[in-house]
Amino acid sequence: MASISIKNLSKKFGELTIIPGLDLEIADEEFVVFVGPSGCGKSTLLRIIAGLEPLSGGEIFIGDTKVNGVPASKRDIAMVFQDYALYPHMTVYDNMAFALELRGMTRPEIDQRVRRAAGLLHIEPFLERKPKALSGGQRQRVAMGRAIVRDPKVFLFDEPLSNLDAKLRNQVRAEIKALSQELRTTMIFVTHDQVEAMTMADRIVVLKGGEIQQYGRPEEVYETPANQFVAGFIGSPAMNFFDIRRAGDGFALVGADGLKPPVPDAAKAGLGAMQDAVIGIRPEHFLHAPDDPAAFAVTIDLVEPLGSDTLVHFNLAGVRTVARVNPELRPKVGEQLKFAARPGKAHVFDKASGRAIR
Amino acid sequence: MKPGLNDSQGRQLAALSAPAVIFTVAMIAFPVVYTIWLGFRSFSSTGASSFTGLANYTALIKDGEFWNGLYVTFALYILSMVLQLVFGIYLAMLLFHSKRLSGFLRSLLISPFMMPPVVAGMMWLVILDPSLGAANYILQSLGLPPSEWLASPTWVIPTVALIDTWQWAPYVALIVLGGLQSLPPSVYEAAQIDGASPARVFRRITLPLLLPTIVTAAVLRSVDLLRFFDIIYITTQGGPGNASNTLNIYGFRVGFEFFNIGYASALMITLSAIVLVAVLMLNRLRSAVAW
Repeated sequence: MASISIKNLSKKFGELTIIPGLDLEIADEEFVVFVGPSGCGKSTLLRIIAGLEPLSGGEIFIGDTKVNGVPASKRDIAMVFQDYALYPHMTVYDNMAFALELRGMTRPEIDQRVRRAAGLLHIEPFLERKPKALSGGQRQRVAMGRAIVRDPKVFLFDEPLSNLDAKLRNQVRAEIKALSQELRTTMIFVTHDQVEAMTMADRIVVLKGGEIQQYGRPEEVYETPANQFVAGFIGSPAMNFFDIRRAGDGFALVGADGLKPPVPDAAKAGLGAMQDAVIGIRPEHFLHAPDDPAAFAVTIDLVEPLGSDTLVHFNLAGVRTVARVNPELRPKVGEQLKFAARPGKAHVFDKASGRAIR
Repeated sequence: MKPGLNDSQGRQLAALSAPAVIFTVAMIAFPVVYTIWLGFRSFSSTGASSFTGLANYTALIKDGEFWNGLYVTFALYILSMVLQLVFGIYLAMLLFHSKRLSGFLRSLLISPFMMPPVVAGMMWLVILDPSLGAANYILQSLGLPPSEWLASPTWVIPTVALIDTWQWAPYVALIVLGGLQSLPPSVYEAAQIDGASPARVFRRITLPLLLPTIVTAAVLRSVDLLRFFDIIYITTQGGPGNASNTLNIYGFRVGFEFFNIGYASALMITLSAIVLVAVLMLNRLRSAVAW
């Protein structure tokens, strides 16, 4: 068990800078998720922590030990790979026992650890099978078992759910979360899926271009995104963004004259004398308000019933907008509905820098 | 005709496959069947032949030359195979891991098997000449006693095996290199995290994962090695005495020097059966080591 401390870490591949300079503190026993779009440097960062990739500058500490230049095997970490990276010629048992054997553990000790991990992951019936005789979900568990038996200081997960089908992904996601609560070990989980990030993390690191956009608890990142990128990346469907311009004593949507967006009071002070800004409204923060005089009417052009909710798409001020409505509303394509934005829930961003204004 | 094909499609199918069928029958089936038939016959000096049943085969069992040929064939097979696999795998690892070896050097390393065996044989004949060759010159300049090489009944098999290894280990290397390049890189990263040393990674990960590829290379080399002919024919012609007289060389001499076609055919059929059994056994091994 250990904290992780990263100080001014940089990574270059030749001339290409992947991570320009990054600081990060992960507490002991914390479950941290690195999330971001492809190419944001999240997997590279994880591989640097693992010791599979050398860093170009900066320092990494696992616990109190500086691990720059320490080989992966000496960092006391375990990693679950995207493609599981099981040894295809070994049985499940041997896959899990291999690392313990290399540490010179005795047979009975190895056996005890492997069987305990297998029990935890419900893979006892497969111990004598080879990976090719297992399903994707079972392989995934074996990969986790291989990590667990080593009882490492830190668990690293590199997009371990991306090769599973949707149903299995939800199941394994819940299992990993339960496991993290049971094992109480520091865990870093890399994903491009913001749902995974939101549901599993104690804290989320949102990355873009090798830089941390925001680091915080899931609800913090969701409710108070640091910038427009985070606001757009976290939340599904994504937040709707509209350009706004100063009009009189307030702001109006650009492209929809007279429509006054609900700029939160807190943001008004921050906006100062700014003429242009961006307002963001999450799909769930549109209210169906047929009787509200401030509501605006839109024509529905696409309906996506999800069961628990229904998503409706419409055009608002030239922006393709998504709103989440009660499924009992049973909206139809072509129908006119009146919506109002929920007061106090809108987010305002600097148009140039994307920084949140609040 | 395949179900679901109408007459015209059936005719088309027959027309399209005919050249391949004719070629196979003419080039493979006919010579095999004809050789089997020849193996049951005895030829007189006038060229007349008579059916003698299994007489050629029973004669084989009593023929000391045949047993010597079998011994030479297997000794050469096993020695060459071991050498070629060991050097082939070594060379493949070298090519795989060395980023410094230039493309030219890589091509040079794998070039011997592109050389016609006759040329390779002639070249080694000159190098290994006991009095004029470079090999003994080098031995002597290192203070070692000279060797008779191909002229020594003791050393002829190892020497021929070395020549064949020089020529064919690069071929094995090329096959193994293909296998190495297709191994999943993440497995090596997992081994790295698990704490396996490079030697342990080779023994516990690389070698077992490469086994199916290595066995494939062994199958390909087995077919050639059991029918060992060209280099021996150029360098020793089965000598000294009969010390390198493989079954194939022996069969050739019986057939084309002594014109005992029936007996030579029986020899060749026996050799073919040996090759077939070896290949079948190796194929079984390949499925056993598949992962």
